Amino acid sequence: MPTRGAGREPYHLRALEPQPTPQPPQPSPAPQAGSPSGGAKIAPPSPVPSRAAVASGKGDPTVAALLSWLFPGAGHLYLGQLGTGLVCLVVVQGLYLLGMLLGEGMSFEYLDPELRSLLAPALSPEVGNLGAFLYQMQHYGYGPGLLRPFPEWLRLGSTLAALSGVLNIAVIAHAHWCARTSVRPAAWTQSAPLAVLATWALPGLGHWIQGRRRRGIAVFLMLVGLFVLGTILAEATNLSRERHFYYWSGQFLVGLPALLAELVWGGARVRGEIAYVEAGLVFGCIAGLLNSLAMIDVYGYAESKLLGLPLRASHAPAEAAP
Amino acid sequence: MELLIHIVLFLIASVAIVGMGSCYSDAEDAPALRNFPRRYLMFVGGCGLLALIMIVLEHTIASVD
Repeated sequence: MPTRGAGREPYHLRALEPQPTPQPPQPSPAPQAGSPSGGAKIAPPSPVPSRAAVASGKGDPTVAALLSWLFPGAGHLYLGQLGTGLVCLVVVQGLYLLGMLLGEGMSFEYLDPELRSLLAPALSPEVGNLGAFLYQMQHYGYGPGLLRPFPEWLRLGSTLAALSGVLNIAVIAHAHWCARTSVRPAAWTQSAPLAVLATWALPGLGHWIQGRRRRGIAVFLMLVGLFVLGTILAEATNLSRERHFYYWSGQFLVGLPALLAELVWGGARVRGEIAYVEAGLVFGCIAGLLNSLAMIDVYGYAESKLLGLPLRASHAPAEAAP
Repeated sequence: MELLIHIVLFLIASVAIVGMGSCYSDAEDAPALRNFPRRYLMFVGGCGLLALIMIVLEHTIASVD
């Protein structure tokens, strides 16, 4: 979690910096007159935990995260957490495979032909599960290039694959955490990856679980309100991946409100000119993108609390330290 | 009227953008709330200035007429 301000390092770097091992206090000789060190004050011990206190020693966090990104659960297997790795593998990869089967691998054919390129689908939630995403691109891609009817279950299949990508973000965060530190939350409400997942599912829920209820309500009202307003402005035509591939990817990050809205009002027919459809699309997409800031916020907060690090604070002139 | 509606929509979206920016910048509620008005004005003012520059350019060196 980066902090702002010159001379301040991100929390994770500060947490893993080798710190001098605290030495037991030694009786110091009485300061002698004229001595250069006479009367010098001993610096207080650093509040930052030592590397030995936080490092898990199981493996490299970056390798664990990259392995999880490429293949869900592989990061945990690398760290020797066989059970967790297998559960992640079955759930995350299973969701993607089920989605691909239901949609016959056609979800990227939602993209308009003029928008299709090698990296175009990389702006979709599926990329959170990189291995499966690359497999789909390799084996299905954009299809044979002919117009063909979409399968009946493509909408559900495409949503499941996208869900797999989002779930894998929490898996990646968990693998990274497990490799980075031996500190474990005492309660599930303190878990950083779980807070991220909760925030995705319902904006503000992660804050609420962490006990920051006022902030949770504010985040919910701002983001879900923006999404609802966008949906009203677009007359629910934003709730279709087929119609708006990229905007849909953004608003997928709003989580369950977007999924439920699509379930109920998805596939709305366009019956005439919609005056503010562009504004509606942008609002829905922005709401999802802003929720990623909320996810980072809850992760950073949980991390700071668990590792005993100072909370993130801006350096506005009004609150500058004297 | 059309312009007014667009400005109102922009101001509404700005609340969410700046509000989430405040949440991201300050982990504590009190400084986030305290800094919100200043951030909001900065954001709206900055966007207004950008819009002004774009309009000027559109009617001068970037004009298609």
